[in-house]
Amino acid sequence: MNKHSVLSSVLSDVNTANGLPNEHYIDPVVFAEEKRSVLFANWSGIGFGKDVPEVGDARPIDFLGMPLLVVRDRDGEIGVFQNTCRHRGMILVDEPKKISGAIRCPYHSWCYDLKGKLRATPHVGGPGQNKHDDVDPNDLGLIRVRSYVWRDVIFVNIDGQAPEFEQAHGHLMARWAEFEQPIFHGGALSSFKLEVKTNWKLAVENFCESYHLPWVHPGLNSYSRLEDHYNIEERDLYSGQGTIVYRQLTDDVGSKMPDFQGLGEKWDQGAEYIAVYPNVLLGVQRDHSFAIVLEPVDQEHTVEHIELYYAAGEQETPEFDELRSLNAQLWKTVFEEDIFVVEGMQKGRHGTLFDGGRFSPVMDGPTHNFHHWVASQVEKGRST
Amino acid sequence: MEIDLLDRALLEAHARRDTTELIRLYSLAAEECEAKQDIGAACFFLTQAFVFALESGAEEAFELNQKLADRGRVHRFTSSM
Ligand code: FES
Ligand SMILES: [Fe+2]
Repeated sequence: MNKHSVLSSVLSDVNTANGLPNEHYIDPVVFAEEKRSVLFANWSGIGFGKDVPEVGDARPIDFLGMPLLVVRDRDGEIGVFQNTCRHRGMILVDEPKKISGAIRCPYHSWCYDLKGKLRATPHVGGPGQNKHDDVDPNDLGLIRVRSYVWRDVIFVNIDGQAPEFEQAHGHLMARWAEFEQPIFHGGALSSFKLEVKTNWKLAVENFCESYHLPWVHPGLNSYSRLEDHYNIEERDLYSGQGTIVYRQLTDDVGSKMPDFQGLGEKWDQGAEYIAVYPNVLLGVQRDHSFAIVLEPVDQEHTVEHIELYYAAGEQETPEFDELRSLNAQLWKTVFEEDIFVVEGMQKGRHGTLFDGGRFSPVMDGPTHNFHHWVASQVEKGRST
Repeated sequence: MEIDLLDRALLEAHARRDTTELIRLYSLAAEECEAKQDIGAACFFLTQAFVFALESGAEEAFELNQKLADRGRVHRFTSSM
């Protein structure tokens, strides 16, 4: 009961609200609760389509202890399954591989096709007898997890109870409709992973706000000042920040990377950085975009999977290799500059006298919006 | 092929995870059992060949399935995967 009253202060107006209490950052019990009520009950990012580029590519992903298998099937569609055999529960695929025919369980060799259908149950009715009246393959396909791929991020709703993705995130999809066009991953240099000693939410919170830019990213701020940023906050949906002074990278001879097609004027110098609750961070600019999936490892550890995308393919446009690598380096620097902050806030959360903190009513709206959403999800979970 | 020769070849193919060879050798073993009218053993080996063919997407998978289905040993595929 006490917890309810604590969260009510998170749910009040930003001017007077407190941030989420410490237990949401350091207590394994609350971490487990958030796993169920926040991460499994909504559309969480688990990986990227570019990691299963070809038909038959299969990639196991451990998401908060839940074994998942991402597969690209023969129609080119991405499917996500529970990576657990329907027979005795063996893990089906333990490392990324190419499935040329069927997924064969390494234990007793039950075989599933790329859509999860059970195709063979060898010796199930005794040696050389591969069917049994009581074992109906139609009932024993792989358990499919609801998934949706947007901006190359693979989202899953583990508990199956969330609204359809396009409903849950329709507002943001409409906001960024102009960017609904092919994106091309920038290749090896455009992919990096940061292991951070922080709770996953602190990475979201820091991403949402521009308040820290002049202090933490002075280099960035020299051309992107605080007053050139605006807050993005949609109650119960998403939050983040935008800039009106995005400047494209140029190389020595003044060339720039190609733009996405048909963008409106807003994007000439505009860029937006939005947290897709719970754990995906996206950025869009006229000539590139990025996606970050936060992998919550435990209440004190998070892996940030960062991927950069462009309007043209890496193979087709080697002339932009240098700009792509420069761009990747710039972002890497920015994201690395944020590490001490998210790790520092994590340490700070062990201060038992900390009350969750107070917000700047003007600057912290996006962060408060996220806290408000998390608190609502947790309360919803507590009430059911 | 003599049985222990075949056994050894099978073990080696398993060790190498040589699917093509596994399909071939298990099919061969099935044929030998069939020649001796040992249908039970033949179906065991056909099953092994079928599973490896299915796993690797080898074209034999469909035919092996049909053979087993003819003997009532498996759900019949109506098409290959
Ligand atoms: S556990 Fe997978 S086939 Fe037995
Ligand atoms: Fe930052």
